[in-house]
Amino acid sequence: MSPLHFSPPHDPSQLGALEAQHLEATRMIAEMKARDVLKTQFLANISHDLRTPLTAIITHAEILRDGLLGELNERQHESISGIIGGGRQLLEMVGEILTYARGAANQLTLKLTEFSLDDVLEQIRAMNESLIAKHALTLEVDIPGNAPPLVADREKIAHVLGNLIGNAIEFTPHEGRVWVRASVVQAGNERDLLVEVGDSGIGIAPENHELVFQEFAQVDASAARRHHGTGLGLTISRKLVELHGGRIWLESQLGSGCRFYFTVPYRAA
Amino acid sequence: MGSAAHILVVEDNPHVTGAMRLLLESAGHRVSLADGVASAVAVCRTDPPSLMLLDLTLPDGDGLDALAILRGAGDQVPMTVALTGDAGRDTRARCLAAGCVDVLLKPVPVRTLLVRVAALLDQRPPTGGFAAPPA
Repeated sequence: MSPLHFSPPHDPSQLGALEAQHLEATRMIAEMKARDVLKTQFLANISHDLRTPLTAIITHAEILRDGLLGELNERQHESISGIIGGGRQLLEMVGEILTYARGAANQLTLKLTEFSLDDVLEQIRAMNESLIAKHALTLEVDIPGNAPPLVADREKIAHVLGNLIGNAIEFTPHEGRVWVRASVVQAGNERDLLVEVGDSGIGIAPENHELVFQEFAQVDASAARRHHGTGLGLTISRKLVELHGGRIWLESQLGSGCRFYFTVPYRAA
Repeated sequence: MGSAAHILVVEDNPHVTGAMRLLLESAGHRVSLADGVASAVAVCRTDPPSLMLLDLTLPDGDGLDALAILRGAGDQVPMTVALTGDAGRDTRARCLAAGCVDVLLKPVPVRTLLVRVAALLDQRPPTGGFAAPPA
Protein backbone atom coordinates (compact mmCIF):
# COMPACT_ATOMS: atom_id res chain seq x y z
CA MET A 1 0.00 0.00 0.00
CA SER A 2 2.71 2.46 -0.97
CA PRO A 3 1.74 6.03 -1.87
CA LEU A 4 3.65 5.41 -5.13
CA HIS A 5 0.69 3.29 -6.16
CA PHE A 6 -1.25 6.43 -7.08
CA SER A 7 1.33 7.88 -9.49
CA PRO A 8 2.77 4.94 -11.40
CA PRO A 9 6.00 5.64 -13.27
CA HIS A 10 6.23 4.59 -16.90
CA ASP A 11 8.62 1.75 -16.16
CA PRO A 12 6.99 -0.92 -13.94
CA SER A 13 10.38 -2.42 -12.95
CA GLN A 14 11.41 0.96 -11.46
CA LEU A 15 8.30 0.97 -9.32
CA GLY A 16 9.18 -2.46 -7.92
CA ALA A 17 12.70 -1.33 -6.96
CA LEU A 18 11.41 1.84 -5.27
CA GLU A 19 8.82 -0.09 -3.30
CA ALA A 20 11.45 -2.56 -2.15
CA GLN A 21 13.71 0.28 -1.01
CA HIS A 22 10.84 1.95 0.78
CA LEU A 23 9.95 -1.29 2.59
CA GLU A 24 13.56 -1.88 3.56
CA ALA A 25 13.90 1.66 4.96
CA THR A 26 10.65 1.30 6.91
CA ARG A 27 11.84 -2.01 8.35
CA MET A 28 15.18 -0.50 9.39
CA ILE A 29 13.54 2.47 11.09
CA ALA A 30 11.24 0.15 13.02
CA GLU A 31 14.20 -1.98 14.08
CA MET A 32 16.22 1.03 15.23
CA LYS A 33 13.26 2.38 17.20
CA ALA A 34 12.81 -1.01 18.89
CA ARG A 35 16.51 -1.11 19.80
CA ASP A 36 16.32 2.41 21.19
CA VAL A 37 13.38 1.43 23.40
CA LEU A 38 15.34 -1.62 24.63
CA LYS A 39 18.41 0.50 25.37
CA THR A 40 16.37 3.05 27.31
CA GLN A 41 14.58 0.31 29.25
CA PHE A 42 17.94 -1.26 30.07
CA LEU A 43 19.23 2.08 31.39
CA ALA A 44 16.13 2.52 33.54
CA ASN A 45 16.37 -1.05 34.91
CA ILE A 46 20.07 -0.98 35.63
CA SER A 47 19.93 2.39 37.38
CA HIS A 48 17.08 1.11 39.54
CA ASP A 49 19.04 -2.04 40.42
CA LEU A 50 22.21 -0.06 41.20
CA ARG A 51 20.38 1.70 44.02
CA THR A 52 19.91 -1.47 46.08
CA PRO A 53 23.56 -2.36 46.79
CA LEU A 54 24.25 1.35 47.27
CA THR A 55 21.54 1.42 49.92
CA ALA A 56 23.33 -1.41 51.74
CA ILE A 57 26.72 0.34 51.57
CA ILE A 58 25.40 3.70 52.76
CA THR A 59 23.25 2.25 55.54
CA HIS A 60 26.10 0.08 56.90
CA ALA A 61 28.46 3.04 56.82
CA GLU A 62 25.96 5.33 58.58
CA ILE A 63 25.45 2.75 61.33
CA LEU A 64 29.19 2.82 61.97
CA ARG A 65 29.53 6.60 61.63
CA ASP A 66 26.73 7.28 64.08
CA GLY A 67 28.40 5.11 66.70
CA LEU A 68 25.52 2.64 66.89
CA LEU A 69 28.02 -0.22 67.15
CA GLY A 70 30.52 1.64 69.35
CA GLU A 71 32.27 5.00 69.33
CA LEU A 72 34.80 5.76 66.58
CA ASN A 73 37.92 7.84 66.85
CA GLU A 74 38.19 10.99 64.74
CA ARG A 75 40.08 9.40 61.83
CA GLN A 76 37.74 6.41 61.66
CA HIS A 77 34.81 8.85 61.62
CA GLU A 78 36.42 10.80 58.79
CA SER A 79 37.04 7.65 56.76
CA ILE A 80 33.48 6.37 57.16
CA SER A 81 32.14 9.83 56.27
CA GLY A 82 34.13 9.54 53.03
CA ILE A 83 32.36 6.27 52.18
CA ILE A 84 28.97 7.88 52.84
CA GLY A 85 29.83 11.02 50.83
CA GLY A 86 31.01 8.96 47.86
CA GLY A 87 28.01 6.67 48.11
CA ARG A 88 25.51 9.54 48.17
CA GLN A 89 27.26 11.18 45.21
CA LEU A 90 27.03 7.93 43.25
CA LEU A 91 23.39 7.63 44.21
CA GLU A 92 22.69 11.09 42.82
CA MET A 93 24.35 10.17 39.53
CA VAL A 94 22.36 6.94 39.30
CA GLY A 95 19.20 8.97 39.90
CA GLU A 96 20.20 11.32 37.11
CA ILE A 97 20.69 8.43 34.66
CA LEU A 98 17.27 7.12 35.64
CA THR A 99 15.67 10.53 35.00
CA TYR A 100 17.46 10.74 31.66
CA ALA A 101 16.27 7.24 30.64
CA ARG A 102 12.70 8.10 31.60
CA GLY A 103 12.93 11.38 29.69
CA ALA A 104 14.28 9.61 26.61
CA ALA A 105 11.41 7.11 26.80
CA ASN A 106 8.88 9.94 27.28
CA GLN A 107 7.93 8.46 30.64
CA LEU A 108 8.23 11.75 32.53
CA THR A 109 5.00 13.41 33.56
CA LEU A 110 4.35 16.73 35.29
CA LYS A 111 2.91 16.82 38.80
CA LEU A 112 1.70 20.41 39.03
CA THR A 113 1.51 22.26 42.34
CA GLU A 114 1.66 25.92 43.30
CA PHE A 115 4.90 27.03 44.91
CA SER A 116 7.23 29.97 45.25
CA LEU A 117 10.65 30.04 43.65
CA ASP A 118 12.14 31.55 46.82
CA ASP A 119 11.55 28.34 48.80
CA VAL A 120 13.17 26.20 46.11
CA LEU A 121 16.17 28.55 45.93
CA GLU A 122 16.57 28.56 49.70
CA GLN A 123 16.78 24.75 49.63
CA ILE A 124 19.38 24.80 46.87
CA ARG A 125 21.41 27.45 48.65
CA ALA A 126 21.44 25.34 51.81
CA MET A 127 22.56 22.27 49.85
CA ASN A 128 25.47 24.18 48.28
CA GLU A 129 26.46 26.21 51.33
CA SER A 130 29.68 24.35 52.08
CA LEU A 131 30.88 24.54 48.44
CA ILE A 132 30.08 28.26 48.24
CA ALA A 133 32.05 28.87 51.45
CA LYS A 134 34.92 26.64 50.34
CA HIS A 135 35.40 28.61 47.11
CA ALA A 136 34.62 31.97 48.77
CA LEU A 137 31.90 32.62 46.17
CA THR A 138 29.01 35.03 46.52
CA LEU A 139 25.55 33.78 45.55
CA GLU A 140 23.14 36.65 44.87
CA VAL A 141 19.43 36.00 44.49
CA ASP A 142 17.12 38.63 43.05
CA ILE A 143 13.51 37.53 42.75
CA PRO A 144 10.89 40.29 42.51
CA GLY A 145 8.68 40.23 45.58
CA ASN A 146 5.58 40.68 43.44
CA ALA A 147 6.21 37.66 41.17
CA PRO A 148 3.13 35.43 41.33
CA PRO A 149 3.69 31.84 42.54
CA LEU A 150 4.41 29.25 39.84
CA VAL A 151 2.14 26.37 38.96
CA ALA A 152 4.65 23.77 37.85
CA ASP A 153 6.32 20.52 38.87
CA ARG A 154 8.28 21.65 41.92
CA GLU A 155 10.70 18.70 41.95
CA LYS A 156 11.56 19.18 38.28
CA ILE A 157 12.03 22.95 38.50
CA ALA A 158 14.23 22.36 41.58
CA HIS A 159 16.22 19.82 39.53
CA VAL A 160 16.82 22.36 36.75
CA LEU A 161 17.79 25.17 39.14
CA GLY A 162 19.96 22.83 41.23
CA ASN A 163 21.75 21.71 38.10
CA LEU A 164 22.35 25.22 36.73
CA ILE A 165 23.47 26.61 40.09
CA GLY A 166 25.65 23.54 40.71
CA ASN A 167 27.36 24.04 37.33
CA ALA A 168 27.84 27.75 38.01
CA ILE A 169 29.50 27.00 41.35
CA GLU A 170 31.63 24.25 39.84
CA PHE A 171 32.97 26.36 36.96
CA THR A 172 33.54 29.63 38.83
CA PRO A 173 36.99 30.26 40.28
CA HIS A 174 37.75 31.32 43.84
CA GLU A 175 36.00 34.52 45.03
CA GLY A 176 33.78 34.62 41.94
CA ARG A 177 30.10 35.53 41.67
CA VAL A 178 27.05 33.40 41.00
CA TRP A 179 23.61 34.98 40.68
CA VAL A 180 20.00 33.99 40.15
CA ARG A 181 17.51 36.56 38.82
CA ALA A 182 13.91 36.09 37.90
CA SER A 183 11.41 38.33 36.16
CA VAL A 184 7.94 38.06 34.69
CA VAL A 185 7.91 38.62 30.93
CA GLN A 186 5.02 38.98 28.53
CA ALA A 187 5.11 36.52 25.60
CA GLY A 188 2.17 37.38 23.34
CA ASN A 189 -0.96 36.78 25.40
CA GLU A 190 0.92 34.60 27.86
CA ARG A 191 3.19 35.44 30.75
CA ASP A 192 6.41 33.55 31.42
CA LEU A 193 8.68 33.46 34.40
CA LEU A 194 12.19 34.11 33.06
CA VAL A 195 14.99 32.80 35.26
CA GLU A 196 18.66 33.68 34.78
CA VAL A 197 21.49 31.76 36.43
CA GLY A 198 24.78 33.57 35.83
CA ASP A 199 28.36 33.25 36.93
CA SER A 200 31.69 35.04 36.54
CA GLY A 201 33.41 31.77 35.63
CA ILE A 202 35.34 30.38 32.67
CA GLY A 203 32.54 30.81 30.13
CA ILE A 204 31.63 28.73 27.08
CA ALA A 205 32.64 29.54 23.48
CA PRO A 206 29.61 30.24 21.23
CA GLU A 207 30.35 27.23 18.99
CA ASN A 208 29.81 24.99 22.03
CA HIS A 209 26.50 26.48 23.16
CA GLU A 210 24.42 23.75 21.54
CA LEU A 211 26.89 21.01 22.45
CA VAL A 212 26.46 21.49 26.20
CA PHE A 213 22.82 20.43 25.95
CA GLN A 214 23.68 17.18 24.18
CA GLU A 215 23.83 14.01 26.23
CA PHE A 216 27.21 12.83 27.52
CA ALA A 217 28.90 15.94 26.10
CA GLN A 218 31.42 18.02 28.00
CA VAL A 219 33.15 20.85 26.27
CA ASP A 220 36.68 19.70 26.93
CA ALA A 221 38.27 16.69 28.51
CA SER A 222 40.05 18.64 31.22
CA ALA A 223 36.72 20.09 32.34
CA ALA A 224 35.30 16.57 32.35
CA ARG A 225 38.08 15.46 34.69
CA ARG A 226 37.47 18.30 37.13
CA HIS A 227 33.72 18.26 36.81
CA HIS A 228 32.66 14.81 37.94
CA GLY A 229 29.21 13.90 36.75
CA THR A 230 27.17 12.01 34.23
CA GLY A 231 27.33 14.72 31.56
CA LEU A 232 23.54 14.50 31.50
CA GLY A 233 22.65 17.48 33.68
CA LEU A 234 21.88 20.01 30.95
CA THR A 235 20.25 17.41 28.67
CA ILE A 236 17.87 16.57 31.50
CA SER A 237 17.35 20.25 32.34
CA ARG A 238 16.35 20.99 28.76
CA LYS A 239 13.95 18.03 28.77
CA LEU A 240 12.36 19.18 32.04
CA VAL A 241 12.00 22.80 30.91
CA GLU A 242 10.50 21.77 27.56
CA LEU A 243 8.13 19.40 29.37
CA HIS A 244 6.74 22.55 31.03
CA GLY A 245 6.42 24.28 27.65
CA GLY A 246 9.40 26.55 28.35
CA ARG A 247 12.76 27.21 26.69
CA ILE A 248 16.36 27.03 27.91
CA TRP A 249 19.42 28.70 26.37
CA LEU A 250 22.66 30.38 27.27
CA GLU A 251 24.68 33.50 26.55
CA SER A 252 28.41 33.32 27.03
CA GLN A 253 31.85 34.06 25.65
CA LEU A 254 34.96 32.15 26.61
CA GLY A 255 36.50 33.82 29.65
CA SER A 256 33.59 36.14 30.40
CA GLY A 257 31.25 34.06 32.49
CA CYS A 258 28.05 32.36 31.55
CA ARG A 259 24.35 33.20 31.76
CA PHE A 260 21.82 30.39 31.43
CA TYR A 261 18.19 31.38 30.92
CA PHE A 262 15.02 29.36 31.09
CA THR A 263 11.33 30.19 30.95
CA VAL A 264 8.36 28.57 32.63
CA PRO A 265 4.93 29.60 31.32
CA TYR A 266 2.45 30.81 33.95
CA ARG A 267 -0.62 28.67 33.98
CA ALA A 268 -3.79 28.58 36.04
CA ALA A 269 -3.68 26.53 39.25
CA MET B 1 11.83 7.08 72.09
CA GLY B 2 9.83 3.92 71.34
CA SER B 3 10.24 0.77 73.40
CA ALA B 4 11.65 -2.49 72.08
CA ALA B 5 9.39 -4.16 69.56
CA HIS B 6 9.25 -6.94 66.99
CA ILE B 7 9.99 -5.53 63.52
CA LEU B 8 9.72 -7.43 60.26
CA VAL B 9 12.04 -6.30 57.45
CA VAL B 10 10.86 -7.43 54.02
CA GLU B 11 13.65 -7.07 51.45
CA ASP B 12 15.37 -9.51 49.14
CA ASN B 13 18.88 -8.07 49.11
CA PRO B 14 20.88 -9.71 51.94
CA HIS B 15 23.27 -6.75 52.19
CA VAL B 16 20.37 -4.40 52.81
CA THR B 17 18.66 -6.73 55.30
CA GLY B 18 22.00 -7.18 57.09
CA ALA B 19 22.27 -3.42 57.54
CA MET B 20 18.64 -3.07 58.66
CA ARG B 21 19.02 -5.88 61.18
CA LEU B 22 22.15 -4.31 62.68
CA LEU B 23 20.50 -0.91 62.82
CA LEU B 24 17.22 -2.00 64.40
CA GLU B 25 18.85 -4.47 66.81
CA SER B 26 21.23 -1.72 67.94
CA ALA B 27 18.10 0.21 68.95
CA GLY B 28 16.98 -2.79 71.03
CA HIS B 29 14.34 -4.24 68.68
CA ARG B 30 13.78 -7.89 67.78
CA VAL B 31 14.12 -8.26 64.01
CA SER B 32 12.65 -10.85 61.64
CA LEU B 33 13.57 -10.99 57.97
CA ALA B 34 11.52 -12.03 54.94
CA ASP B 35 12.85 -12.06 51.37
CA GLY B 36 9.54 -12.09 49.52
CA VAL B 37 5.77 -11.65 49.64
CA ALA B 38 5.05 -15.26 50.66
CA SER B 39 7.59 -15.34 53.48
CA ALA B 40 6.41 -11.92 54.71
CA VAL B 41 2.82 -13.18 54.90
CA ALA B 42 4.03 -16.31 56.73
CA VAL B 43 5.89 -14.29 59.40
CA CYS B 44 2.89 -11.95 59.87
CA ARG B 45 0.69 -15.00 60.57
CA THR B 46 3.01 -16.96 62.85
CA ASP B 47 4.80 -14.16 64.72
CA PRO B 48 2.92 -10.89 64.09
CA PRO B 49 5.30 -7.91 64.13
CA SER B 50 4.49 -4.50 65.61
CA LEU B 51 5.92 -2.90 62.51
CA MET B 52 6.73 -4.08 58.99
CA LEU B 53 9.32 -2.30 56.82
CA LEU B 54 8.35 -3.31 53.32
CA ASP B 55 10.33 -3.14 50.10
CA LEU B 56 8.14 -2.90 47.02
CA THR B 57 10.14 -4.83 44.43
CA LEU B 58 10.31 -8.45 45.57
CA PRO B 59 11.18 -11.59 43.61
CA ASP B 60 7.70 -13.11 43.98
CA GLY B 61 5.65 -9.96 43.50
CA ASP B 62 4.86 -6.41 44.56
CA GLY B 63 5.48 -5.85 48.28
CA LEU B 64 2.02 -4.32 48.64
CA ASP B 65 0.54 -7.71 47.66
CA ALA B 66 1.45 -8.91 51.16
CA LEU B 67 -0.97 -6.39 52.67
CA ALA B 68 -3.75 -7.40 50.27
CA ILE B 69 -3.24 -11.11 50.97
CA LEU B 70 -3.37 -10.63 54.75
CA ARG B 71 -6.39 -8.35 54.55
CA GLY B 72 -8.18 -10.70 52.12
CA ALA B 73 -7.71 -13.65 54.50
CA GLY B 74 -8.96 -11.63 57.47
CA ASP B 75 -5.52 -11.72 59.14
CA GLN B 76 -4.17 -8.87 61.22
CA VAL B 77 -2.24 -6.42 59.04
CA PRO B 78 0.79 -4.94 60.81
CA MET B 79 1.55 -1.24 60.78
CA THR B 80 3.59 -0.93 57.60
CA VAL B 81 6.14 1.53 56.25
CA ALA B 82 7.05 1.16 52.58
CA LEU B 83 10.70 1.59 51.63
CA THR B 84 11.23 2.43 47.99
CA GLY B 85 13.86 3.70 45.61
CA ASP B 86 11.21 5.53 43.60
CA ALA B 87 10.56 9.09 44.75
CA GLY B 88 7.54 9.51 42.47
CA ARG B 89 4.28 10.71 43.96
CA ASP B 90 2.39 7.92 42.15
CA THR B 91 4.33 5.35 44.15
CA ARG B 92 3.68 7.23 47.37
CA ALA B 93 -0.04 7.46 46.66
CA ARG B 94 -0.19 3.76 45.76
CA CYS B 95 1.50 2.78 49.04
CA LEU B 96 -0.75 4.97 51.18
CA ALA B 97 -3.84 3.66 49.37
CA ALA B 98 -2.69 0.10 50.09
CA GLY B 99 -2.62 0.93 53.82
CA CYS B 100 1.00 1.92 54.50
CA VAL B 101 1.34 4.55 57.22
CA ASP B 102 4.40 6.10 55.60
CA VAL B 103 6.64 5.84 52.54
CA LEU B 104 10.39 6.42 52.88
CA LEU B 105 12.92 6.84 50.11
CA LYS B 106 15.87 4.44 50.19
CA PRO B 107 18.48 4.78 51.46
CA VAL B 108 16.81 6.35 54.48
CA PRO B 109 19.43 8.10 56.63
CA VAL B 110 19.76 5.82 59.68
CA ARG B 111 18.95 8.55 62.21
CA THR B 112 15.79 9.44 60.29
CA LEU B 113 14.72 5.81 60.15
CA LEU B 114 15.29 5.22 63.88
CA VAL B 115 13.38 8.37 64.82
CA ARG B 116 10.49 7.49 62.49
CA VAL B 117 10.33 3.88 63.74
CA ALA B 118 10.36 5.07 67.38
CA ALA B 119 7.59 7.60 66.70
CA LEU B 120 5.40 5.01 64.97
CA LEU B 121 5.92 2.43 67.69
CA ASP B 122 4.88 5.02 70.28
CA GLN B 123 1.60 5.51 68.41
CA ARG B 124 0.70 1.85 68.13
CA PRO B 125 -2.56 0.82 69.77
CA PRO B 126 -2.28 -1.21 73.00
CA THR B 127 -3.44 -4.40 71.22
CA GLY B 128 -0.23 -4.50 69.24
CA GLY B 129 -1.60 -4.67 65.71
CA PHE B 130 -2.33 -1.61 63.63
CA ALA B 131 -6.00 -0.72 63.58
CA ALA B 132 -7.65 1.26 60.83
CA PRO B 133 -7.85 4.96 61.69
CA PRO B 134 -11.18 5.94 63.29
CA ALA B 135 -13.76 7.19 60.80
